[in-house]
Amino acid sequence: MKRRLFLATSISAALAGCSAIGTKLNDNRAFHSVLESAEELNERVIGARGMARLYAARDISQNFPIDSLDTPSDNEYASLRGSGFRSYRLPVVGAVALPSSFSLAQLCAMPLQTQITRHDCVEGWSAVAQWSGVRVADVLAIVQPRSDARFVVFHSFDSDSNGMPYYESLSLAQATHPQTLLVLRQNGAPVHVDRGAPVRLTVPLQLGYKSAKWIRRIEVVPSFGRLYGGKGGYWEDQGYEWFAGI
Amino acid sequence: MNKPEAVYRHSAVTRLTHWLFFIAFLALISSGLQIFNAAPYLDASDKSSPSHRVLSIASPQDGTGAVWLFGRVFSTTGWLGWADDGAGGKTARAFPGWITIPAYQDLAAGRRWHFFFAWIMIACGLVYVVWGTAGRSLRELILRPADVPKIWRMQLYYLRLRKDPPPHGAYNPLQKLAYTLVIFIFTPLIVLTGFALSPGVDAWAPWLPAIFGGRQFARLWHFAFMLALIGFFLIHITLVALTGVFNNLRSMITGRYRLGAHDGTGI
Repeated sequence: MKRRLFLATSISAALAGCSAIGTKLNDNRAFHSVLESAEELNERVIGARGMARLYAARDISQNFPIDSLDTPSDNEYASLRGSGFRSYRLPVVGAVALPSSFSLAQLCAMPLQTQITRHDCVEGWSAVAQWSGVRVADVLAIVQPRSDARFVVFHSFDSDSNGMPYYESLSLAQATHPQTLLVLRQNGAPVHVDRGAPVRLTVPLQLGYKSAKWIRRIEVVPSFGRLYGGKGGYWEDQGYEWFAGI
Repeated sequence: MNKPEAVYRHSAVTRLTHWLFFIAFLALISSGLQIFNAAPYLDASDKSSPSHRVLSIASPQDGTGAVWLFGRVFSTTGWLGWADDGAGGKTARAFPGWITIPAYQDLAAGRRWHFFFAWIMIACGLVYVVWGTAGRSLRELILRPADVPKIWRMQLYYLRLRKDPPPHGAYNPLQKLAYTLVIFIFTPLIVLTGFALSPGVDAWAPWLPAIFGGRQFARLWHFAFMLALIGFFLIHITLVALTGVFNNLRSMITGRYRLGAHDGTGI
């Protein structure tokens, strides 16, 4: 009995010690950057290859969780929303040969792709939805990225409670994957204001935080180092991986 | 009295991979529970589905914690669901701060730890198996068909219901069973179920989540294999303690093991 008590106590103490040491190390910058080195290996092994599984209509989740910052409180967004997004225009700018701006009607006139795919959240849950929209590859083909272009940045109307704007970025290869869409309709209806209206992204090969909502502007850049926190996205600036394939 | 004979039992590669694997194992459990806390439920399905929920840990109201397991409710206030927030207080949280890395709730940091040590674990496992196969040290550890009938007899011996253990080599049949399960079943499967959670991997290996019953089901298996490895670990350290803790530890640190009453019977 004494032995068992000793064993149980020492295991609990060891785990608690493990957590305490781990927390100390986690708060150490140098150690944390060593941990971050795993991201490159993740990206090399996983990459952006293959096609996400396509599901059937019966697989669509009845209750797709909403896991976002609040619906944008941005004034410009509120006025666009008030007019039913009739005056919405999506500028595509930056390191491109032909900077352009697209109205919703122009986007809808492009070839629309409809796919039922699984959305995997970084928190751990998954939900299936039907997404209809324009391939990011088709939009980029129109604006023609320059030879120094490497990343596509999606700026959102949304910002957090501190006023920090939401944005995300993809490599050209990830952005031009045939299943990366600028979504106009979700489950057969125009994208809801709580879910990113009028235009949001879906990136089924990566975790949900990459699928930016309420897109205000697309910017093609050689590097994202000078944008906001410099890590290539709102969640990346909070410590999440830029490569969100796992 | 003769000085007991010492033998060179574990190679440097075995010892190094053993301790690195152990460190990775602890870091992966603590960071894995941190990650679990972000979605503290497990479903036997592909997409999340409350009607397929096997396990859920939650705080039904402030100050209480509960675990739902196969539809049965257990009150776990103070331990699970309503637990240590990592800063001296209590909060609505599945696994308590004293068991997670970091102690406070931080999914981004938990993921960094988890992936880093997952690669360490994979590297240790590969080096150990390749080395052990090349040097033939794995041979005496693998369970063979001839060992299977001896497993029960060995268990009876451990339970003191049999006077003598069945004849065996350097490792007894129960040890072989345990090590074979850990090296060739639990560890490879916990790695594969981890990869099945990756939407990127699922795009080029759709068979991977499929063989585990879908992505959320793979998350459930991932958790179950963690429990299996923890079960092995508890038995392992109990037997290390019972069969001469210092001799066993020395053999895994310096490689030298002093032969005695327990040689060949401790795990």
